[in-house]
Amino acid sequence: MKKATAGPAAPESGGAGRRVVVTGLGAVTAAGWGVGPLNDWLQTGRTAIGPFTRIDHHLQRTHVAGEVPPPPAGQARLFARWRRYSNTDRFALFAAVEAAAAARLPASLHDRASGVFFGSSTGGLFESEQFYSQLVGHSTDVANRSFLASHHLSAPAEAVARQFGVSGPVETLSSACASAGLAIEQALRSVRSGEVDIAFAGGADCLALTTYSGFNALRAMDAQPCRPFRADRQGMSLGEGGAVLVLEDLEHALARGVTPLAEVLGAGSTCDATHMTAPHEAGQFAAEAMRSAIADAGLTAGDIGYINAHATGTPLNDAAEYAAMRLVFGERTSDVPVEATKSVLGHLLGAAGAVEAVVTVLGLMHRVVHPTAGDGPCDPATPLTLVSGRPRAVPDLRYAISSSLGFGGANAAVLLGRWMPT
Amino acid sequence: MNVLHRVVITGLGVVAGPDCGTEALGNSLGAATMKTVVVDDRQGYHVPGSSRRAVLTTGVDLSAWVPPAVARRMSPPSRLAVAATQMALVQSGLAGAVGGLSTGVVLSSSLGPVTSTEQLLDVARRDGPQAVSPFAFAESVANAAAGQVAIFTKAQGPNLTIVQREAGSLTAVGRGAALIASGQVDRVLAGTVDEMPPLLHALIGRFDALAKPDETGAEIARPFDARRNGFVVAEGSVVVVLEREDLARGRGARILGRIRGFAGAFDATAPRLGWGGGSAALAGALDRMLKSAGCRASDVTRIVSGASGAVAGDRIEADVLKAVWAGAPLPTILVPKAYVGQYGGGFLAGAVLSVSGGSFGKTPGFESADPALGIQPFAGGPLTPAPLSLFTTIGSGGSASWLLVESA
Repeated sequence: MKKATAGPAAPESGGAGRRVVVTGLGAVTAAGWGVGPLNDWLQTGRTAIGPFTRIDHHLQRTHVAGEVPPPPAGQARLFARWRRYSNTDRFALFAAVEAAAAARLPASLHDRASGVFFGSSTGGLFESEQFYSQLVGHSTDVANRSFLASHHLSAPAEAVARQFGVSGPVETLSSACASAGLAIEQALRSVRSGEVDIAFAGGADCLALTTYSGFNALRAMDAQPCRPFRADRQGMSLGEGGAVLVLEDLEHALARGVTPLAEVLGAGSTCDATHMTAPHEAGQFAAEAMRSAIADAGLTAGDIGYINAHATGTPLNDAAEYAAMRLVFGERTSDVPVEATKSVLGHLLGAAGAVEAVVTVLGLMHRVVHPTAGDGPCDPATPLTLVSGRPRAVPDLRYAISSSLGFGGANAAVLLGRWMPT
Repeated sequence: MNVLHRVVITGLGVVAGPDCGTEALGNSLGAATMKTVVVDDRQGYHVPGSSRRAVLTTGVDLSAWVPPAVARRMSPPSRLAVAATQMALVQSGLAGAVGGLSTGVVLSSSLGPVTSTEQLLDVARRDGPQAVSPFAFAESVANAAAGQVAIFTKAQGPNLTIVQREAGSLTAVGRGAALIASGQVDRVLAGTVDEMPPLLHALIGRFDALAKPDETGAEIARPFDARRNGFVVAEGSVVVVLEREDLARGRGARILGRIRGFAGAFDATAPRLGWGGGSAALAGALDRMLKSAGCRASDVTRIVSGASGAVAGDRIEADVLKAVWAGAPLPTILVPKAYVGQYGGGFLAGAVLSVSGGSFGKTPGFESADPALGIQPFAGGPLTPAPLSLFTTIGSGGSASWLLVESA
């Protein structure tokens, strides 16, 4: 079996190199453990955001989140050292194992050219907060250092790599809410260039006191479940979970007898370079990331039939994102169906781009655009085609774009295509 | 492999502990003394009897690089990274001349911005979550430094923050070079940043990773030495300017080195908090990287090792190198972490400086080689430019990264 190779300038661009397909999906979200529960929930048009117990929030301004439910009974027995992992690690591991099973990958990839490219903005922060609480609330003797064993932001990716015996590059991108989008881009370029044949691309993050307090401090959170692009939107809702896509060289997948689920056609990334938390008002660089992804795929904006928007629900973000869409899609902006996955699951931060890519692949597979939760009117300042109530069939759907925008001005866009054998 | 452009290093910015600038760092490397200070333990985070020393940036004046009014709104890692970037741009002759979509930023951080998170949690605990500062939260994210570097330089190309523990700094440079080589951007500000507040120092100490006080009370990293018992941590930031070679030569830039190859790999036998025993697989990955770059181990004229004094970490580093060289004598081995400590970029800066020569004193802390490793680090003296250097680092948790750099 071929092992990972590298060179001075491994990745290529401009659509050159190998075709990269998605052969497996995995997800852990507020909808449940697995892609099945997620897909079922997406059909309902309801939000999974609601009351939660992960952290004590009685002194916070807001009291809802997209919390992952307890794992299925017996889950711990399926994974070695399950109880010793952080919540974030568990989300990552479950999603990766589910994706690998869907891709019919062997249990060990030690003799394959494989890698892991993950996004995370919290890592084991939830558990580290418990350590800190013990440390300052009690004493250095009481504080249990096992809480810190998965503190690193790279821990989820490393847990996945250990699970499968991955021997190629294992890299974690931590660019806030754009992390997983950037990780998918890195994975695409790694497979495309021949550095690896198989890549786990995804992300995982867990609700934590730091993030919940921080977004409330920014006055960015809505007291109700978030309502992206709606006229009455008041802000975002946090979520948690993990999602993984198995990206694979097309020839490698076909040689294994695996039918791809979708194709990763392009990716692009930029930086606003204007403000740490506020987006560029005119959306210029978010637009440039989308344009780069479209060019990378060798397509035009007119080819895109479905936009899975970043769509946090904050007044500023949604307005800036709409402006970016206008720059890319022009007059078509109001006609292309838009999905705001965060209205259903909340904002998964460093994992958001991964779960939204999974949702986008599901849409391409079933030729639908899932409903955005909520039923209020669209903001007249951002007149978009939001699907409400139930999925909208789009029989000729071929290409979709998923955007992620983060603190620090990071923008990422991933262009996915329905699998078409010819 | 479709490499469109060759990539060179044209600038190096350094805040490595108290050493601000390449000249200060060069002097420290020549003097071969690690500039440790005692870490403030008044907050009571440290376990009694634990290690106390680190290489810190305390007292370093960055005002020439980051205006104080701006610096006040930044976390320590953001300040350090912006300062290192400014220095690198001045050295490259590009100060004020970068930015736009053709400039990317790729930084790594092993440990993230701890001070901001600690402040946020402290306020939330003491005064309630509604008292939390939005500023502290915005600066608590791992990519705060990369975001601030972009804001400061108007770099609007790809902006990546890579977290890969000790392997991250070389990966940042390698992936940054890839962005240029593939034609996505013309230049990249690549590097690493880490801070070392008392809380973090104490936590690392809890895992028995730090060099233990010896009979004189000194805490000394002793990479490859028989008596090594841990590493000494550091803080700082190091940034290099990577450029398309044709553009750099076209503007008459001084070339500090050319990126010849890069690879990352993972040792799946490594535990979460330590190093594993998968040297054979890592050696295979390094061997393939050399072949992919069109060279053999015998072509490498200098190794710059990321060995830190960690017992298991140095062992696997030695095993990998010996396996790749397959019994042939190893070239000169520099070990920058013996001079500047673990984290904060001193390793990367020392490695880049060594490509074009300079002077390294006798490897600090090294007295007798661990017979199980058989590695003899540099004995000190002037260095000639190295035609081909291998930078190598294997991080705790399993990630490894290698960079091949040619002298210009």
